[in-house]
Amino acid sequence: MIPQNFEYSSPSNLNEALALLANGDAKVLAGGMSLIPLMKLRLAAPERLVDLGRVADLKGIREDGGNLHIGSMATHYDIESSALVHGRCPLLAEAASNIGDVQVRNMGTIGGSIAHADPAADYPASLLALEAKVRITSAKGERTLPIDQFLVDALTSALEPGEIVREVIVPVESAATGISYQKMVQPASGFAIVGAAVRVRKSGGKVTFARVGITGLAAKAFRSTAVEKLLETTAGSAADIQKAAAVVSDNVDANSDLHASADYRRQMARVYTARALAQALSRTS
Amino acid sequence: MKVGGSYTLPVPRERAYQGLQDPEILAKCMPGTEQLARIGPDEYEMKMKVVIAVVQGLFTAKIRIADQKPPDEFRLLVEGSGKVGFLKGDGLLTFVPAGGSTEVRYEGDVQVGGMIAGVGQRLLDTTAKIVIRKFFERMSEELTQAGQAASLP
Repeated sequence: MIPQNFEYSSPSNLNEALALLANGDAKVLAGGMSLIPLMKLRLAAPERLVDLGRVADLKGIREDGGNLHIGSMATHYDIESSALVHGRCPLLAEAASNIGDVQVRNMGTIGGSIAHADPAADYPASLLALEAKVRITSAKGERTLPIDQFLVDALTSALEPGEIVREVIVPVESAATGISYQKMVQPASGFAIVGAAVRVRKSGGKVTFARVGITGLAAKAFRSTAVEKLLETTAGSAADIQKAAAVVSDNVDANSDLHASADYRRQMARVYTARALAQALSRTS
Repeated sequence: MKVGGSYTLPVPRERAYQGLQDPEILAKCMPGTEQLARIGPDEYEMKMKVVIAVVQGLFTAKIRIADQKPPDEFRLLVEGSGKVGFLKGDGLLTFVPAGGSTEVRYEGDVQVGGMIAGVGQRLLDTTAKIVIRKFFERMSEELTQAGQAASLP
């Protein structure tokens, strides 16, 4: 279908973009992989769109002071194909390469994805496991939020009207860390039915560090500290993995839809968490 | 789609029962309510603007309260439609005293159809949970504020 009429602007720099957004009634176009289909179905009918696609300041990926700074308009393809991300934060590259299909990865952006806050999106699991931060900017100023505070609820981020995601900040990974993102994919949409992102380190035969992020299972992605605690200080054997992954769905109000009931999702979360833990542990050095 | 759960309101059972039937309080607590009018005994018509992410839909809904057994339970029947789809719901609300508070249990069946259901199937359940939670959070605030106001000299 054809969207309702809207005003379109395509600013070429950040200040211009922020000025256009300052009065708060415009919607940001950051790739449009969720927004444009909704507009074509006329479920969404924003009156003004500000396309951030030409704002060069928002695109780069750079390393600075032990962190990677990923511009919000970096596409999933930019991230999965970046040598810097592969070398310094492989979990994020692995998550990006699992998103949707080639077309979506070429257009969709990390900023657009996290601002939309879809409960089944791929990035949040990894960003939670990475303890990432989100730098937000507006005409009024800047603020930086940890990812768990940025993601407020299903389809709700902490962005206020007029604010945009400027960049996502992730720590540079130590070479000893093993990582894995395992996802049960819904074939039609490419979204995760459940997805588990894991970072682990071992030392002297013991797991010394574990971070586990889960997407798709609940209204918003979450970090499973229960699984982390159960795995840490164990030897990371197959039995230890099963025991830790078994608690991932405990006390979780699980999503339910046409593709997967709540019980099935809870079970699949255990299965995919175990797989991610096993692969991440096999990749530690 | 089945919906079910419970929420504890920090007021006695009679107050909770009454609050959940008070059109003025309901209008304040239902996210997006723009207008609520009584059209018959225990029957109301409301206009709602539902906003979920970038999706906005205007709905006109009829609400009927039936099978009243104060202060234990009543049945809520909702029928709504708008440009983006329609919904039909039937739910039972049960009020269980819990100390000075009241646990409100709800159990029901909601059918959603039209475009919003076709496109948003994946997110309907999650969205319903959020709307219900927001409703009870506001209800809780509304009832405690009203209670405080009433106890003032």
